[in-house]
Amino acid sequence: MKVLRLTLFITALVALLLAACAPATPQVIEKTVEVEKQVVVTQEVVKEVPAERAVVRLSGWAASPEETALLQSLLLDFTAENPDIVVKYEPITGDFWATLKTSIAAGTEPDIYYMDIFQFPAFVQDDVMLPLDDFMAKTGTKKEEFIPSLIDAFSANGKVYGIPKDFNTLGLFYNKDLFAKAGVAEPTDDWTWDDLKAAAQKLSDPANNVYGLGVPADAGRFPIFVFQNGGAIMTPDFQDTLLDAPEAIEAGKFYTSFRAEKIGAIPADVGEGWQGTVFGKGQFAMVYEGGWLIPYLKQQFPNINYGVVTPPAGPEGEGNLIFTVAYVISKNSKNPEAAWRVINYLTSEAAQKKVMESGFALPTRLSLQESDYLKTNPASAAIFRGALQGARPFMWGLVGSDVNDQMTKALERVYLENMSVEESFKQAAEAIRQKLAELK
Amino acid sequence: MTTPSTTSMILTARQKARRRREALTAYTFLLPYLFIFLIFTVFSIGYAFYLSFTRYNLLSPPQWWGLEGYRRVLCIESWFPRPENAPKPVCDDLFIRKALPNTFKYTAIVVPAQTLISLVLAFAMDQKIRFRRLFRTIFYLPSVTSSVVISLIFVWLFSPLGVINQIFHLKINWLNDPRYAFYTIMMVNIFTTSGTLMLIFLAGLQDIPITLYEAAAIDGANKFQIFRYITIPMLRPVIFFVVTVGIIGCFQVFDQIYVMTAGGPLDSTTTIAYLIYKWAFRDTTVKMGQASALAFILALIIFVVTMLQRRVIEGSGSVSQ
Repeated sequence: MKVLRLTLFITALVALLLAACAPATPQVIEKTVEVEKQVVVTQEVVKEVPAERAVVRLSGWAASPEETALLQSLLLDFTAENPDIVVKYEPITGDFWATLKTSIAAGTEPDIYYMDIFQFPAFVQDDVMLPLDDFMAKTGTKKEEFIPSLIDAFSANGKVYGIPKDFNTLGLFYNKDLFAKAGVAEPTDDWTWDDLKAAAQKLSDPANNVYGLGVPADAGRFPIFVFQNGGAIMTPDFQDTLLDAPEAIEAGKFYTSFRAEKIGAIPADVGEGWQGTVFGKGQFAMVYEGGWLIPYLKQQFPNINYGVVTPPAGPEGEGNLIFTVAYVISKNSKNPEAAWRVINYLTSEAAQKKVMESGFALPTRLSLQESDYLKTNPASAAIFRGALQGARPFMWGLVGSDVNDQMTKALERVYLENMSVEESFKQAAEAIRQKLAELK
Repeated sequence: MTTPSTTSMILTARQKARRRREALTAYTFLLPYLFIFLIFTVFSIGYAFYLSFTRYNLLSPPQWWGLEGYRRVLCIESWFPRPENAPKPVCDDLFIRKALPNTFKYTAIVVPAQTLISLVLAFAMDQKIRFRRLFRTIFYLPSVTSSVVISLIFVWLFSPLGVINQIFHLKINWLNDPRYAFYTIMMVNIFTTSGTLMLIFLAGLQDIPITLYEAAAIDGANKFQIFRYITIPMLRPVIFFVVTVGIIGCFQVFDQIYVMTAGGPLDSTTTIAYLIYKWAFRDTTVKMGQASALAFILALIIFVVTMLQRRVIEGSGSVSQ
């Protein structure tokens, strides 16, 4: 085997030397495909490549080594098909946004970078991204091919700035064993707030540190209750907050009532930082989490018997949050055409199918909603369905981080200082208005 | 008549040439450091000073803003009570309301505590006791460990179901309760720095001439008197150093807070350095100018406090330079 590989390599090398006199420089493109994680198949492909190759730099955060390997294998596939483009993958470890923003300030940002919907407004305002509509028209990529709530999230002023690469919504994860033990019927997609509360009551056993529902002071969870109650966090133009409107306050009262009645808890109550861990340990019977919990449970708590449904509806219907990331092109890119071809490839149906089947992320193309993978993975399917049921992007405009801070504090004041929900939310809304005024 | 003066002139010229050569050698040796110092310190500070007068979100070029950044940091309007229905001033009172008092509280508790503990430790380690070297190593160990690692260990120790609560049969949510979170972080810092300071005190203690102790013993002084009238006065320069370094370090406390609480819960652990980081890097709309302004205000505070402290210690005795 080794000998064979060596021969192959020498052949490739000779091919390279022989062709060196030709005008176009051939290059050896090494392709590594990860199969079943253990076996690595290496194959060498000799390709004629043009002498002038466009260089495209791509940066994102590195969520996990497996995810990085997957992206790299997709990029290698791309290079094999498009020998005139060299993609340099430059992952940013550590604080992605600080690094990216300072590189934009220095004018050294990559051609393509990840854009989280939460950060999107600031980047739109300062006009540092390239609109993609013309490129899309050229390659025949249509807006309608993507899930509307996702592609719309990355559009501003009638232009598309980013192609969503994947997304997540919140699902209600429930522990089947705890439900069986308490004799409660398992949740369905048709559950309402009343069902949620009734189940939490029966499932809780505070003496043994078991609680019905996780209700963390987390701005990435609580807003869905506001949506389900017919409210919103910000006005549609993001110039004001609606956190002190009756809908939000009522939602806040409902959300915090779980802990007050000892049928819900925050992770810190049982000594953890994240409710995903608490759920894995079987101390919270239900938690609202995204698809990221699925691989985590598989790795850390392989024995847990759980199910996922879309969040129970509130008095005013469905409501969910969308967490999504897109690929965008920098306005300073020297090779925007090449960059677009990379993005178009990475968000193509074939590439997204590959990512989905690896279990890392959900695809953003509507055509994949009927795929076999989602049929055989009901947990992921529930998270996917969430995007089509009253979900809104996790984004609060230019003062997003302040809105998050204030929402967290509003809940913390209720939890830790026994302040009334009205007073606490009013304070939060005032603080957000203050931050909005500071923008001017 | 002219000869002597000519000789002296020649000598001066030769001396001058020699001096110049020496200076040249010195600067050659200094050059690598000087280069780094000029770029990464002088230029950076100068640029930050310029930024403190601008409005800058990193994504678009800085705009001149004059003293507005400083005004927004200090938020003087919020110092005085406002009529009921008056509009809120456009500024961030987080510095005045939380970060400044928190930082002073932190310094006021941590500096005396770590100085005292390390002094006692150094005194103990200076005695001829068994396993002295082992103890020295143990006490110094936290100082060579990364503060992030120690912070993470403390997060475990102080978690609601953690070791501390188990041992003392407590039910305190140390890091998630605004009443305790800040004190928990203070404990971490005292734990980490005491080792280094102990080492400095130890060096100071061993510098005290043995003859002084002998003379005191002959004069019939007891252990406490020796400590009070010989050890402490002789240690004064070291105490000055330890307190100064402690104050500067405390005013800049950041990493433990970043790792353990991120300024929360309810801003109870937000310090000036953390607030600078928050404005400069964490907010969706970056406030680099305002953060730079606060950085210079912090530098000014440290300067004034160190000067005052120098006065106090100098006033009670001489400080060797």
